[in-house]
Amino acid sequence: MGGMIMDRSSNAPFLELKNVNKTFNLSSGQVIALEHVSLTIGKGELVALVGPSGSGKTTLLNIIGSLDRPSKGEVILEGVRIDALSEENLVQFRREKFSFIFQDAKPLRMLNVLENTLLPFNFFKPNNRNGNIRDEGIEVIKSLGLGHRIYHMPSQLSGGEIQRVAIARALITHPAMILADEPTANLDRDNRLFVIDTFRRLSKEKGIAIVFSTHDLEIADRATRIVHLKDGVFLKDEAVCCAPCSV
Amino acid sequence: MTLIVLSIKDIFRRRGKSLYLLIAIVIPVAILSTILLTFDNADSSLSTLASKFGFTLIVQPKNVHADKITHIGVNTEEYIPEGVVEDVKKILQDTIRNPKDKVITVVRLYEEEEVLIGRAKAGSVVAGIDFKTELEAKPSWRLTSGRWPQSNREAVVGGTYASSRKVSLNDALTIGGSEFRAVGILQNYNSSDDYMVFAPFTEVQQLYNKAGLVSVINIQNVSLDKDRGLLQTAVNNINKNIPNIMALSPQQFSTMKYTLLKKSLKFLMAIVVATIVVSIFSIFNIVTSVLYSRVKEIGLLKSVGASRSQLLTIFLFEYLLIGLLGGLIGYPLGLIMTYLLDSFLLKLGAGIHVNILYVLVALLVGVFCSLIASFYPTHRLSKITITESFRTQWEG
Repeated sequence: MGGMIMDRSSNAPFLELKNVNKTFNLSSGQVIALEHVSLTIGKGELVALVGPSGSGKTTLLNIIGSLDRPSKGEVILEGVRIDALSEENLVQFRREKFSFIFQDAKPLRMLNVLENTLLPFNFFKPNNRNGNIRDEGIEVIKSLGLGHRIYHMPSQLSGGEIQRVAIARALITHPAMILADEPTANLDRDNRLFVIDTFRRLSKEKGIAIVFSTHDLEIADRATRIVHLKDGVFLKDEAVCCAPCSV
Repeated sequence: MTLIVLSIKDIFRRRGKSLYLLIAIVIPVAILSTILLTFDNADSSLSTLASKFGFTLIVQPKNVHADKITHIGVNTEEYIPEGVVEDVKKILQDTIRNPKDKVITVVRLYEEEEVLIGRAKAGSVVAGIDFKTELEAKPSWRLTSGRWPQSNREAVVGGTYASSRKVSLNDALTIGGSEFRAVGILQNYNSSDDYMVFAPFTEVQQLYNKAGLVSVINIQNVSLDKDRGLLQTAVNNINKNIPNIMALSPQQFSTMKYTLLKKSLKFLMAIVVATIVVSIFSIFNIVTSVLYSRVKEIGLLKSVGASRSQLLTIFLFEYLLIGLLGGLIGYPLGLIMTYLLDSFLLKLGAGIHVNILYVLVALLVGVFCSLIASFYPTHRLSKITITESFRTQWEG
């Protein structure tokens, strides 16, 4: 894990986790998934969550993205305590602030690449858009190297292309934060590098905070910050910079 | 693109499962349509059935004794003044209180005499009838050969009469001293008509010096056919208000038939309900398996901003469309089944008619089956959280 330690104080606090705990009550007993986790993420940060399986990476992503609520502690995004919002308000909040990229969330098979990219707008209207949303969708797809696949169906795409469609879908809503769980897990090296370098570009150029989980240290090294977890406990939080860019 | 377009695209994507669902809906709808249409046909053919076997009501002279009845069961000795016909008609219209429901009155004058057929004489009952009114009341009346009379000196003979007396077309028949020509032979209906000679009503009145008299007034009416209580009220009203006559309902065939039909309908409806219940369980199973295979898709849709109500809209609209399609296919299938049932088994002969009300019933039943069966699984699956739907992938 190379790179230099960055001064994080230059980043304006965007998201803050204060002493977050998460326990699951299972039939086999209580499982502590996260314990006393405190974390601050600024706009434009690219954060890699690393750690072995069962270390709490996914649980932390869920709590950051308001997909799950902490058992204890606070989650504050732009001054709003999102862990205390009602489910209805959370849906609205997630639409405005977050986009999610899942390891195995394939695009809808009955929609083409463009329709999959514009899928969120079947459920809510885009805010503050001047241009045509369809044209913007095409631009996003082209920017991800899928210009020749705009009207192709998911069954005609490779694994790397499918993940780029997921990124396009995540970008179209202009989110403040993208949360990605193992976004490069099933990809070859070229596609892994393409995905992470796209993340770097987006966080730098658009100021989007991106948090992703990974086991791949080569990928983690390309983040601006790496958060190490083990058994639900914060081990290390290091900032890196000047990682080589392949895009 | 709207949520509805998403639903339609998904139906086409899951063509196989959608087809299973469609079949599960089409079967009860087709059975229901068949039963309703068959019952409707039977109902509408009741008047035809009644005309085959007799009239709704018969008004005859009061003093008809058994010894005055001929061997074929008609009275040839007592008469009713012709003017009574209008009185009877008015009483019936007042009883029925439905101007659209026509009261058909058919008068007959019966005489018994030895009719000369060629050179041979044969004991016969001659019925003076108005052929036009008689045919209106009995649309099922058919000739096995010949035609209906077109002049006053033409006659028609019953099927059994023709075969037993060896009467052929164009044979001369001497009735009341005048010569008639047999121009038609009536089909057999297992009724007294099979044994009679039919001549024009006014001719028979004149030949037998019975001007202004009739032997019997036959009445046909659909409301009275269907309602035993109303029929009895009509009988009572006629008997109470008109002297020297007796109203009878000797042919209660249609009422009995209608009652039987209603009982059959109840039994058949029980079968339909059972089919619908089985269908709902089948749809429930198919929908549940389909939705469980869509758990990740539900998570994805929620993660891109779909609310629970929007997911319910997508899923329920899918099943609403399939239900409507099931109704649309089930009804014409019911029509075909009704046609086949009628052609090869029931032989009601009422024909196949599209009934808009039943089309609506078919659509409603299709939608009802589909939505009732799919509501619980869609409701339950729409509650699944994003983390639950991706649990296998999100376990870190």
